[in-house]
Amino acid sequence: MIRCGYCGYEFSEEEGIRGCGKCGKPGGCRMVRCPRCFYENLPEPGTVKKMKKLLEKLK
Amino acid sequence: MAIFKKKPSCHGPVTGPAIKGKKVALVGNPNVGKSVLFNALTGAYVAVSNYPGTSVEVSRGSSTIDGQPCEIIDTPGMYSILPITEEERVAREILLNERPDVVLHVLDARNLERMLTMTIQLVEAGLPVILVVNIMDEAERMGLEIDIPLLREKLGIPVIGAATAKKRGLAEIRQAIAGYEEGRQAVFGYSRRLEGDIVTIAELLQGEYTLSRKSLALLLLQRDEEIARLVAVQEGERGAFVAERVKEKIFERRESFHLDLSLERKEIVKGLLAGVIRTPAQRRVTFGERLSRWAVNPLTGAPLLIVVLYYGLYEFVGVFGAGTLVDLLEGKLFEGWFNPWISGVVKSIIPWEIIQELFVGEYGVITLGLRYAVGIILPIVATFFLFFSVLEDSGYFPRLALLVDRLFKKVGLTGRAVIPMVLGFGCDTMATMVTRTLETVRERVIATVLLALAIPCSAQLGVILALLSKTPGALLVWSLCLLAIFLLIGLLAAKIMPGETPMFYMELPPMRLPQLSNVLTKTYTRMQWYFMEILPLFILASVLLWLGKVTHFFERLVDWMAPVMAAVGLPREAAVAFIFGFFRRDYGAAGLYDLQKKGLMDPRQLVVAAVTLTLFVPCVAQFLMMKKERGTKAALGIGLFVSLVAFASGWLLNRFLLTTGVL
Repeated sequence: MIRCGYCGYEFSEEEGIRGCGKCGKPGGCRMVRCPRCFYENLPEPGTVKKMKKLLEKLK
Repeated sequence: MAIFKKKPSCHGPVTGPAIKGKKVALVGNPNVGKSVLFNALTGAYVAVSNYPGTSVEVSRGSSTIDGQPCEIIDTPGMYSILPITEEERVAREILLNERPDVVLHVLDARNLERMLTMTIQLVEAGLPVILVVNIMDEAERMGLEIDIPLLREKLGIPVIGAATAKKRGLAEIRQAIAGYEEGRQAVFGYSRRLEGDIVTIAELLQGEYTLSRKSLALLLLQRDEEIARLVAVQEGERGAFVAERVKEKIFERRESFHLDLSLERKEIVKGLLAGVIRTPAQRRVTFGERLSRWAVNPLTGAPLLIVVLYYGLYEFVGVFGAGTLVDLLEGKLFEGWFNPWISGVVKSIIPWEIIQELFVGEYGVITLGLRYAVGIILPIVATFFLFFSVLEDSGYFPRLALLVDRLFKKVGLTGRAVIPMVLGFGCDTMATMVTRTLETVRERVIATVLLALAIPCSAQLGVILALLSKTPGALLVWSLCLLAIFLLIGLLAAKIMPGETPMFYMELPPMRLPQLSNVLTKTYTRMQWYFMEILPLFILASVLLWLGKVTHFFERLVDWMAPVMAAVGLPREAAVAFIFGFFRRDYGAAGLYDLQKKGLMDPRQLVVAAVTLTLFVPCVAQFLMMKKERGTKAALGIGLFVSLVAFASGWLLNRFLLTTGVL
């Protein structure tokens, strides 16, 4: 889940608008836009996701 | 909401497997925790797709509740079953067309009075409602006591107190879904006159409907066109007669129907809440609430903003990040140790001077590109991103939007434009793209011009703060100049550009204490991406500059720019920083940093150079984005205008400082 840094709306990564690649940056910016206010948010880094999964498995 | 058209490959409709069993729809206002509950109920099996014929996304997932398969639908946020936005329309379409077996109405326990109005509408419509009073933990922290069993009794539907983010109440919700049986729901009575109107219309309806006749009659009287079309189809030949009667009633009640209905519903909610909610005699006002009030009130908000900018930007980013950390990394690590060592290594391996220059020369890939990226830019952006993440996580930005709304209206924008403006302090290229979220073309053009002109990006801002923080007077002159130009150009643009400034409305999320882990993760991610992005560009720019040097083109370019530099009172060498700046804003600012270190500029020249460079043509990436968003003509026009304003301001400022002797 991502909590929008601007409007506080909580949404899943899939629900966000992402990966348009229109800015010309190599590979795009990978930011996830809030579906409600369009503020760009950071998705959870892969390493953090992996750590969380590992912790859940350990539980 | 079709502003961001998504690529089909990324966001095309996803068709999930057909799920048999109970259909559960989650409804409620935005920001009440619907998606958290949806994820808790469905886990990983989720399909997100556009609702047919719209750009609104709907999530669907499957779940097994009490051994029974269920399809869970997360509807877009809605405030009422009388829709205004496309999202609300889609949410109601789902209720009408998909005929859910259970409707989970999620609401915020802290705003029961405001949100219960929709519960009344859902119950009145005869839908199978379960009420989830969410965010109970924060309501309790505020000292609110909610009698859930009494509310259940009054509404005649299952009511569950929950805090889904903390997994509280999930088991009860699952149990309520599994054991849901339609029973007697409460009937809400309106005044005799209103009831009379409802009955008159409801008795005319003979078709088959998902919603109750009472609810349909009310929607017809509120001039709901979609319901009017539905009724026309269902009633067939009688449709015209029904429409005529509705028209007569609307005419009779033309003066105050909406107001009367909303006042009566408010009374019903008041009755429902009597004895259900207990607020402490003196409601505990949390520090967050108090801070929130200070932040939006102009009298306290403006000083608060100055405090935030002073300690956050000046002290933390400027003095600590760009001063202490840069001195340590760039001064001690690179200049003192790494550069002499790597120069020795390269010179011992490569015998040709021209190739040595490419790596460790004046514009060398390592001695300039890597030094700028790691030694100067990285510590500055690290502190800036840390400060930015703290502000973002605390919920300060939407309050800033409200605070500046009135000022922004003067320059033809609204508080909503704070999003691109704030993002511009991170990266102007992305912010230019975000201007498309503004409502009118007028706003988008004004915001694009202001971003290109007066909003420095994070790295540029950091380096300029580093440059000027040693002479606070220079920093003050720079800040005032930029603010004045921002307001002046904005006011002029608002006068010249035709059109009205739209309304701005937003719901404020609560202010919170930022979580350290969240702030650190965000900062780390932003820095990682930023570094990966700038390093190749800095290396490429170093190679181009080296090429320019060996072909003597660079010298010629500096010669061409010398008269302009002289006109604004800058040394000839400052042209180098402007050439750097065209590759990237931060590269140019780092160039100025180098000039200052070499003692080539006094405080007056420093502030003139900083103002001119901040206002000067944006970097290549931003220019390309302007071209993409506003078209070639507009981008070229903005580019030319911005360059002229930059050098004219530099010239004026230089004359002013020379005459007055302020610096």
